[in-house]
Amino acid sequence: MTKISKKRLYLVLGCVLVFYAVLAIAPAFAQDMTEAEYRPFPLIGSRSAAWIAAQLHLLFGSFILGVPMFAVIIEFIGWKTKDMRYDRMAQEFIKLCMGAFSTTALLGGVLVFILIWCYPKVMSKLSGIFGPTMIFYVILFFGETFTLYLYSYGWDKMQGRHKGWHLFLGVLLNVWGTAIMFVSNSWLSYQTSPATQHGVLSEMRKKSWMEEQLAADPSLTPETVMEGVTDHSMIPLHNEVTGEFMGTVWDAVNNFTWMPINIHRLVGNIAFGGSIVAAYAAFRFLVAKTKEDKAHYDWMGYTGNFIALCGLIPLPFLGYWLGREIYLFNNTMGINMMGSLFSWLFIIQAVMIGVLFIGANYYLWSGMGRIDGAEVYARYRPWMIIAIIVSVAIWMTPRTLSKISSASELSAMGGANHPHLGLFGLMTAKNTVVNIIILTTFLSFLFYRRSGKVPTVGWRKVGNIAIFSICVFAVVAIIVIGIVGFSVPTDFRVNILTPYQVLIALALMAIVTVIDIFMYRKATTSGTINWGEMTDRSQYVLILIAITFTSLMGLMGYARSGLREAWHIFGVMQDTSVDAFTPLLSEAVNMVAIIMVAFFALVGFIFWLGLWGEKKKQEKAAVEAEVAAQGDD
Amino acid sequence: MSRNTLIKIASLILMVVSFIAYIAGASAFPIASENLLPWSAWFLISVIVNIILWSNVVKLLTFSLAVIWFYAFVAGLVPESSTAVNLTELDWSDPDAVAEQGALVFNGKGQCAACHTVDTSAPPGRCPDLTDIGVNAATRVPGMDAKAYLIESMYQPANFLVPGYGKIMPEVWKAPINLSKLEIEAVIAYLQSQGGEIDPTPFDEPIDRADIGTAAEALPPLLTGDPELGKKVFVDVACISCHAVTGIESPAAGEVNEEDFEVVTAPDLSEIAAFNDMRYLEESILLPGAQIVSGYGAVTVRAKGTTFQGTLVSQDTEKIVVRTKTADGTEEEHTILLTEIDDEPIEELTNLMARGYFTLTLTPIDADASVTGEIVSETDETVTLKVGDENRMFSKTDVKSQMTVITFDGDEIVGDHVSGTMDDYEIILIVDGSEEVFDTLDLDLDGTAMTRARGKKLLVTSPMPENFPLILTVADMTNLLSFLSTLTGATAEAVPEETTEAPAE
Repeated sequence: MTKISKKRLYLVLGCVLVFYAVLAIAPAFAQDMTEAEYRPFPLIGSRSAAWIAAQLHLLFGSFILGVPMFAVIIEFIGWKTKDMRYDRMAQEFIKLCMGAFSTTALLGGVLVFILIWCYPKVMSKLSGIFGPTMIFYVILFFGETFTLYLYSYGWDKMQGRHKGWHLFLGVLLNVWGTAIMFVSNSWLSYQTSPATQHGVLSEMRKKSWMEEQLAADPSLTPETVMEGVTDHSMIPLHNEVTGEFMGTVWDAVNNFTWMPINIHRLVGNIAFGGSIVAAYAAFRFLVAKTKEDKAHYDWMGYTGNFIALCGLIPLPFLGYWLGREIYLFNNTMGINMMGSLFSWLFIIQAVMIGVLFIGANYYLWSGMGRIDGAEVYARYRPWMIIAIIVSVAIWMTPRTLSKISSASELSAMGGANHPHLGLFGLMTAKNTVVNIIILTTFLSFLFYRRSGKVPTVGWRKVGNIAIFSICVFAVVAIIVIGIVGFSVPTDFRVNILTPYQVLIALALMAIVTVIDIFMYRKATTSGTINWGEMTDRSQYVLILIAITFTSLMGLMGYARSGLREAWHIFGVMQDTSVDAFTPLLSEAVNMVAIIMVAFFALVGFIFWLGLWGEKKKQEKAAVEAEVAAQGDD
Repeated sequence: MSRNTLIKIASLILMVVSFIAYIAGASAFPIASENLLPWSAWFLISVIVNIILWSNVVKLLTFSLAVIWFYAFVAGLVPESSTAVNLTELDWSDPDAVAEQGALVFNGKGQCAACHTVDTSAPPGRCPDLTDIGVNAATRVPGMDAKAYLIESMYQPANFLVPGYGKIMPEVWKAPINLSKLEIEAVIAYLQSQGGEIDPTPFDEPIDRADIGTAAEALPPLLTGDPELGKKVFVDVACISCHAVTGIESPAAGEVNEEDFEVVTAPDLSEIAAFNDMRYLEESILLPGAQIVSGYGAVTVRAKGTTFQGTLVSQDTEKIVVRTKTADGTEEEHTILLTEIDDEPIEELTNLMARGYFTLTLTPIDADASVTGEIVSETDETVTLKVGDENRMFSKTDVKSQMTVITFDGDEIVGDHVSGTMDDYEIILIVDGSEEVFDTLDLDLDGTAMTRARGKKLLVTSPMPENFPLILTVADMTNLLSFLSTLTGATAEAVPEETTEAPAE
């Protein structure tokens, strides 16, 4: 086939594709364009279109928020330790961020178009409430864009004495990014929990509510009208009949789930950014040809995974806080989430988080294999594996079987709970094992940190005994509190016992870290870290962790949105579209799988572009060097 | 291209195709017509082949795709079961059946099982264990019987809290759970079945669903529906063919429209929203037979050898008035005494009341004479008749059956059935006190009929089609309800528009 005929073939194929694309979207333009409540998206439907665009935008958003956080931390470490490897790695990732940044903006635009096209009334309602924040969002976006340009393009110029200013730009970039996330979180969290806690409700709304009450009941006085008002639901933000919003913008922004989602996502982004960096390093490690490259990417993978772990460990606690706020806003929604409609989703979530923790621990243990002198800790490994596997199994135990059991099975069980294993399905059991998993992972990291080092301080024996005693005391205390939790009222468990469990776990990690730092401050090394001698399996684990993180984010997106059930704004604006039903878990996870493939394909493309540019640059530099050498001759 | 390369490429293509097919839920891929292999199996096979044959990059891609697939596969393993209930076709006179449906609501839509257990050995839930609540309910609040307590607990759960438990139960009749009155009645029957006696008789709700605030909260479609679009739906789906509404032109009764649908007279809806709440309107569209406006029920009744088919105009304890239409369109009204309604043979004694029977004549197996009485109540196994002044319960299985057989000579013979059916070689009947054996080869198959009892029947149905849940989308339904809610008898200007004004300061 000649070149011309090939061109013709491509032309024909292109025309056919365009023709089919026009055919596909033509019905959409043939619709009634008058003011509509909903407009269908061609082929895949409005919900699927909005779902895919929103989730992809969110994943890329997390990428461009998480990676700069990672970069600034790494750059700071490099600056302080004067190790240029950190600086180069941070710069490498910021370059990759540039491509991802425009993709995020592109996807954001697509999402907005889909929402305005398919859900005009919902968008009209939301923009009517959040208009001022949308202007603020645009300002923040400009700030973030230009700061990113300065941060990236000024990297080489701002070395040496300007490094502090460069780091300031990095921090500023993260401040802009985080602020953007906080603003957009306010919109979606309002949709889930459109109410403000009484204590922080605006004076304007309180005043208008008082006037309504006084007008409705002449027996009330301005002094008595507020008596007994303690509950958020007593001063609603919306007219109960029309759904009209009656508060201030801040009342809508500062809703029940806004701050928990902000913090949960902020820390989640750190973990996500770290895991993506680690996965990238794993890929480069596996395809590396030289020992130097393998050593570099081994180190990069370790660093990325370390940052991911730092984010992963507090995430369950923050998730618990978010869940608690959901219960406070609407108890039924909370029960739907954990004990009813979505309970099986959280079992799948437990599977994924189990994979994350098992993977992270495996990577650490595998990493100890390349450290001389780490063998002393190998004897603890089986016990730690057992602790994690048993804990994950308990975490995966469903609370209620009502959704998957027939009437006869329910009757045979004597209810919706399994007579024996049902105990493990209760939150007190799950909270307990989550703490155990986190502490086990912390212990793995502690052993990793100690590997190849010998403490020289005189009190090292006492220190070790103290650490051992603290660990035993904390684990026993956490388990005892968990057992007591079975027999106390829920309120007491949620408000008293569980926070104490968390505090004990956090205190253990803080105290042991401090002791360990002092104990190993002047430690001698018994062996070196042989960077680059990691197994291939461990690199696959890093990729597994990144994919699991991403899948988990997709699944949680479904949960957060699905919790509203058939409401655009829970309790205020009902979803009356053809999609006003909650998709099955299996359907949702299939959709998440499609989004995952699209996301990793796009990220892979961006990484490939980065490598391509780098390769071209290296080739050009090599040619120039050769020419210069010839000129010298 | 080497064979090895071809295998590698084929395996790669198979992996991608099987992944897409699995996610898309495509049916199994055949390797032979009688042997089907699911896409998940093909995917796993190709993953293994790719990992063995390919080098790092494709191996990595394969691994990544396998992880994504694994989570989708695990989620697909979660079985889904339906807890849908059917309360409209339920035999409400059967306490056990009602309680059974109530258990489904309890574990399903009502979400009660998320907090309550019904098992003393189960770990404590968020809310009290309900074992023996059917009995214990009577002891909770002095002066309040079990049913009254259960009703209050369902509608105003915060009125009385069991010591040790917080105020966390939602008002289940409100959003987002939105239990209907029938569903609440079924749940109460289920709770009564926990050690107590089930009383499925209806009760008055201690709330007013028509209350405007409550209605808006419980039925938020009003918030977003467009009355103008609803008006269009009203005309498009042919509601206007039968229901008159002031201001909309409707065809005359008796006409046949383009869809071959005869226009019948149905209630005027011009002021429907002035006297009925949204839930009633919603129920009337989705379940037209649930409540039938007096004078508009369709009835077919046979009396004094004549079949009357028409509209039930009125009914009291002694008589009914049926309006029929003759072939030339003339309307006639017939007053029929209930005693004049003909007895019909009944083959199966199930769901008698739901099928419209109000009297029954049967012969108990241990008696010679038949018994006739008004049906008071029934279960799957028994029926209670009012015979004279007393109520007598009869087993549905222990009744004599009568069989009618027709010989090929044309003789019709009726007798008490002893044994045999047309599937056997012979049938034995007692005719005039003596046992007679019939060879089934000598009998007309079509002429054989078994009768377990006889009874008078009066079944009133709604002439409105029942397919609206199928032909209306959620948006249509919302718009239609919004339109109906404007029909208060006021002028068209009174139709509320969604306000966009800022709240008053």
